[in-house]
Amino acid sequence: MNSTSQKQVARPGAASLTPVFVRLKLSLLRNGLRQSSGRKAVYITSIVLVALFTALQLLGLTALRGTAHLAALTTLLAVVLALGWAVVPLFFASGDETLDPTRLVMLPLRPVPLVTALLTASLIGVGPAFTFAIIVGSVIATAHGAAAAVVGVFAVVLTLLVCLALARAVATANVRLLTSRRGRDLAVLSGLIIGVGMQFVSLGVRKLGAAGGLHALVPVADVLRWVPPGSAMDAVRAAGDGSYGAAVAELALSAGALALLLWWWQRSLTRLMTAPDSSTLQAATQPDKARAGRSGLAGALPAGRTGAVMLRSLRYIWRDPKTKTAWMSSLTLGVLVPMLNAAQGHGSLYFAFFAPALLGMQMYNQFGQDTSAFWMVLQTIASPRDAYVELRARAYALSLIAVPYVLIAVTGVAAVTGAWRSLPEVLGMSFAMLGALLGTGAMTSALFPYSIPQGSGFKNVAPSQVGIAWLSLFGGLIAGAVICSPLIALTIWLHVSGEFGQMWILLPLGAVYGLGAAWAGLRLAGPRVVARLPEILLAVSKG
Amino acid sequence: MDQGRAPAVRIEGLWKQFGQQVAVAGVDLELPAGQFIGLVGPNGAGKTTTLSMVTGLLRPDSGRVEIGGHDVWSDPVAVKSRIGVLPEGLRLFERLSGRELLEYTGRLRGLPGDEVDRRATQLLDVLDLAVAQHKLVVDYSTGMRKKIGLAAALLHNPEVLFLDEPFEGVDPVSAQTIRGVLERYTASGATVVFSSHVMELVESLCSWVAVMAAGRIRAQGPLAEVRGAAASLQAAFLELVGAQRTASGDNLDWLGGGAR
Repeated sequence: MNSTSQKQVARPGAASLTPVFVRLKLSLLRNGLRQSSGRKAVYITSIVLVALFTALQLLGLTALRGTAHLAALTTLLAVVLALGWAVVPLFFASGDETLDPTRLVMLPLRPVPLVTALLTASLIGVGPAFTFAIIVGSVIATAHGAAAAVVGVFAVVLTLLVCLALARAVATANVRLLTSRRGRDLAVLSGLIIGVGMQFVSLGVRKLGAAGGLHALVPVADVLRWVPPGSAMDAVRAAGDGSYGAAVAELALSAGALALLLWWWQRSLTRLMTAPDSSTLQAATQPDKARAGRSGLAGALPAGRTGAVMLRSLRYIWRDPKTKTAWMSSLTLGVLVPMLNAAQGHGSLYFAFFAPALLGMQMYNQFGQDTSAFWMVLQTIASPRDAYVELRARAYALSLIAVPYVLIAVTGVAAVTGAWRSLPEVLGMSFAMLGALLGTGAMTSALFPYSIPQGSGFKNVAPSQVGIAWLSLFGGLIAGAVICSPLIALTIWLHVSGEFGQMWILLPLGAVYGLGAAWAGLRLAGPRVVARLPEILLAVSKG
Repeated sequence: MDQGRAPAVRIEGLWKQFGQQVAVAGVDLELPAGQFIGLVGPNGAGKTTTLSMVTGLLRPDSGRVEIGGHDVWSDPVAVKSRIGVLPEGLRLFERLSGRELLEYTGRLRGLPGDEVDRRATQLLDVLDLAVAQHKLVVDYSTGMRKKIGLAAALLHNPEVLFLDEPFEGVDPVSAQTIRGVLERYTASGATVVFSSHVMELVESLCSWVAVMAAGRIRAQGPLAEVRGAAASLQAAFLELVGAQRTASGDNLDWLGGGAR
């Protein structure tokens, strides 16, 4: 190599690098359209929806112009946007391939041109366009006067850049986490976290509606106006009010934050691209953390297959992100739905059936939850008895949580609704339902197993097995209802004939009935599991 | 070796087809007991499919498999306690630590708790996993996964051990460890059947080989017999499957690293 070409290779200037990254980003966006027709449809639909939403909020913000305390809203909005930019890429790290700088680690790139090029490239995309529209809408809504308009231009640029630089800096600093197993586990849990987050957002909106105006936001905005990029947004209001000093200070604060973020980003980028890979570091430095081998629980469980299977099932509820998500959602919704209904005044104790229903469903597709590791179970099951004991142990593990949970949840709902008189019958029916779902769950686990894709937080069925999954779930639920029907008939009869004094009998009857239904289901499922072992393995290995 | 012993594995007319694709087209094999047996063949020869059917993981379309005189599909109770399996491409219970995985497997196999403890400790030691025993298997490297899988397969002291590509993606140190354990295991009279597409490995390890290509057995017998007059198993194998060296043309004449 001669010296000039060496120089060229070693130091590509920002001028030459930026167009390359912009073109790369455009190609990636364009390639989003070159997927299968199904994904293309999703892609286009999402773009159209975002465009529609953007237009609507732009109109909305413009229409709000002149409302009192509107700046409080736009300041809050800017901070929330920045927060979103900081958090969302952590969950969807694979969403933007240019976000992972480790892909560029073998290229001879200097930090400053690289940061410039990456920042420019990240301005392109649906997300930045959406953010840009919100910020522009906010400025239009709050800018009063020429000075405010000028400040507004700076505010738009600063807010957008702070959002993007924040997203990049946080992602780069956490790239080790994101590419590690813990990061991927976190991504699987993201569905749950976002779901819970939405509950809080909707709660906040309702509170705001109840408070009857934006003035409720003012105390919050008083703090946030000194938090970039909220400060840039509030500068527009300040300029409109004539407090130019405050406006300049607020803009400078945001600009300072931007500079700090860029510095942090560049520093983590340099460190990341010159340090050894995370897996190497982890292997070399991570101290060996001893897990409690024989904890109290392990010692208390029965010996043999029953105890081993129970312990593994319980460990998986906590350690396997997919299983954890399913359980957390069930445990949360099981109380949340009846409680919310009760809180809104039109609650009935019968909503408490959500608790046993959602927990009982965890028995469904037991072997799918094992993934292809089911072969380890398969190798040790040789007789219907083995299969029965295996399924029974899983049902035990589930009941260990479900029975006390249902007891507490139903009693809790009874306390909130004050329907103490119906407690015995609802509790009895709940146990019957739980037992019926355990029984039918064991059967459908044997007859209609399907794979649960592991990496994604949002896919719970392998694409080719959606039919089986629905059949399993709905067939099982209908069968469960049919199994419970004698008890339902008895309840109705007691109600109709006015025998309210006899209602208590439904509690022991329901408990025994549920036990019987679960036992029968497990007994029937045992021989079917043994007969279908290779078929089950094949069905659960597609994820 | 003694010819009087019954074969460890007897396979008759084993057939498996996925749609139009015939994966295993009538395999007949008699694998002698107490030997280190290699099932060799190129990728896609049907080795994994054959081993899956032999170990009860996959149901054959037709054919019979007997292990120690017991039919795999009609007498699973007798067979499953006698075999150990390490499949390729299937997961383990990765959210357990190495030791927890062994405890779980041992108790599923019906071994008493303290016996599982004792064996697990020894296996973890011998396989160099003692340091990582409390780490989750999901954080293990490929070599460590193969080793913990091997430990799980050996825990109940099976008569026949089936290993699908046990050395694939394994570093040299782990490979040597695995090798040592397997050699000790066969020396005690047990049988190891493993599949591989690395001829040198099979040649250095095995006393008996079966060569498989396109779903059929092309040759089987003691290593020396199968190798015949050829210089190496590799040469004998290429001859058997009829693979001709493709003419290395002059298309890549620019490739050399020096000139520019």
